[in-house]
Amino acid sequence: MLDSLALAVTVPLLAALLVTALPGRVQTLGVIGAIATALVSLRVTVQVWQHGSLRSDPGGWGAPLGLALQADGLSAALLAMAALVALAISVYATGYFREGERRLHFWPLWFLLWSALNALLLAADLFNLYVTLELLGLTAVALGALTGQREAVAANLRYLLVGLLGSMTYLLGVVLLYAAYGTLDIGLTGAAIRPGPVASAALVLMTGGLALKAAIFPLHFWLPPAHANAPAPVSAVLSALVVKAAFYLILRLWLDVFGAIVTPAAAGLLGLLGAAAVIWGSWRALRAERLKLLAAYSTLAQIGYLCLFFPLLQATPEGPARDDLLAALVLMAISHGFAKAGLFLAAGLVQHSAGHDRIDELGGTAQHLPATTFTIALAGTTLIGLPPSGSFIGKWILMTGAIATGQWWWILVILIGTLLAAAYVFRVLSRAFNEAPTPRRFVTQASTEVPALLLALTSAVVLGLGAQLLWRLMGFGVVA
Amino acid sequence: MNRPAKLMIGLLLCLFALVLLWVFHVALTQPPGARLADLALASLPLSGVTNPVTAVLVNYRAYDTLLELAVLLAALLGIWSLGAATPGFQPAGSALAAMVSWVVPLLILTGGYLLWVGGYAPGGAFQAGALLGAAGVLLRLAGDERAGLPSERAQRRLAVAGIAVFALVGLGTMVAGTGFLTYPQRWSKWLILLAETAATVSIGVILAAAYAGGKPRSRASDGATP
Repeated sequence: MLDSLALAVTVPLLAALLVTALPGRVQTLGVIGAIATALVSLRVTVQVWQHGSLRSDPGGWGAPLGLALQADGLSAALLAMAALVALAISVYATGYFREGERRLHFWPLWFLLWSALNALLLAADLFNLYVTLELLGLTAVALGALTGQREAVAANLRYLLVGLLGSMTYLLGVVLLYAAYGTLDIGLTGAAIRPGPVASAALVLMTGGLALKAAIFPLHFWLPPAHANAPAPVSAVLSALVVKAAFYLILRLWLDVFGAIVTPAAAGLLGLLGAAAVIWGSWRALRAERLKLLAAYSTLAQIGYLCLFFPLLQATPEGPARDDLLAALVLMAISHGFAKAGLFLAAGLVQHSAGHDRIDELGGTAQHLPATTFTIALAGTTLIGLPPSGSFIGKWILMTGAIATGQWWWILVILIGTLLAAAYVFRVLSRAFNEAPTPRRFVTQASTEVPALLLALTSAVVLGLGAQLLWRLMGFGVVA
Repeated sequence: MNRPAKLMIGLLLCLFALVLLWVFHVALTQPPGARLADLALASLPLSGVTNPVTAVLVNYRAYDTLLELAVLLAALLGIWSLGAATPGFQPAGSALAAMVSWVVPLLILTGGYLLWVGGYAPGGAFQAGALLGAAGVLLRLAGDERAGLPSERAQRRLAVAGIAVFALVGLGTMVAGTGFLTYPQRWSKWLILLAETAATVSIGVILAAAYAGGKPRSRASDGATP
């Protein structure tokens, strides 16, 4: 019997080993490995769709002695997003790292990162999650520094130290929980946890450590330089997937481990930080001089929107309204993942073609790359939250929830953030129309432009129109 | 940063440490529930080894260990991506060279012993691999710029071998029907020994190569580099 959860982790791991051991065939093996990994990841999603949640016990001991892998609607949705985004990035990378030393370094680290991502999304054990965080953090840092430029190395050294501090703080929380409750399994710990100083300290430590990794305001200082100086495919995966993985873990812990002890004040604080991130991130994105820096600051704002869901989830009783909020949160996270990956890939193409990515001087360049400009526009649609994008539905439900729970002040934040997002997206797009139109062909380099375009298209059109499928995957009733 | 700010940060950190110590005290003085240690000892006869630490590492939580090996590999690949290693130190003087020629074989022998003894006493793949890595460090200090390791191509294969064997054992038990990394009881001792031996070699190679601090330089004697 094939254990699809274990395969989703081991297939990318074996791909990493193969491309490490056989550097001569790195490109071919890379493409094959990416397709295989995407297929085994999507297989998990299909099985969750068919059977509800999945669980398997590597080692056969079962919790609490052994550890477990688990997939429910939440992890399956993010797993599918990761698979599609990572597949598109892999295709893009074959065109981006055409030759030279760098692709030898890129592919092994890339598959290790993908493996860590899948392992994190499927883990059901608090210590196992720590190991996946370490693997994810190390590979992300190494990939981010791949350009070898001084700023990139400096930014990623800071990212490494911040990441280590974050995972150590998380581990401290795990130690406290284990000392108090004698188990590491998420479900068992969640059932055993009691309000008190130990549980509160663990909540603060683990959330704080992960907030550092998820770049939640005001712990975001490391993100813009690290994301803006990485090679384009790496920026895309850092913004779309790696930051999202840390956020997923916060959500998972708050729902499944600390569900019984989270207070409205704690959720409100997270919402407040999210609100600050929305406004500060959008403002800095508007003021950014470079396209990739704009994209990096916009990631801050998007993580902020996701944090706004916490006070609303806390205030909404179990039922369809809460299910809608949870699904809307996942929908926004996934839409942003696709859109931001597409935007960073497109920014990479612009940078490659122009030799720089200064927004004020992009005019002619953008016009020679119609497909790439279209990608930026589509991704922008999602970042603003215009219909029919997935984030339109997400924001709509977020605002409905804010009204239903009487927390109207979040709506002001969402409106300001949306306005600023529209401003920064149109600031880029307006540069694309300041010369006589001279596009010769819509697509100039298919292997890099098409994946970026598909990602943006998915975020702006497919996810919005197909949002009901997400509700079905997460086992909720269909949205009214 | 000015002095008062530093003092302030120090004070806050001390306060934070005190709070943590208090919380930890509370956690430890709570009435103890079921402890995993009892369960781990009780399941020992089924695990194929008699040392509980080894049982946790390569049987109960073998999947953790597999990912930890991947962390080591990621660290090495990250170091390699930053450029070539600096040339080694000068060749050692005769006294150091003589000592190294004694100590390195001893380290390798002790590593093998620790690997074997891990089944029933403290020891195992990580300890044995650390000794092999230490042998590499000594060789590099004594002037071998590659820390006693073979060409880059061979280093790549040795570094991945341990993880590959571990993962393939896991997939093998899955295909055989017991489940991922679930050893059939009759075979568990030998499967564990196989996985640990391969892991020892990889850990040793990765640690020594990481100490060299960069991608190995190719030598004329290597033949074609990959």
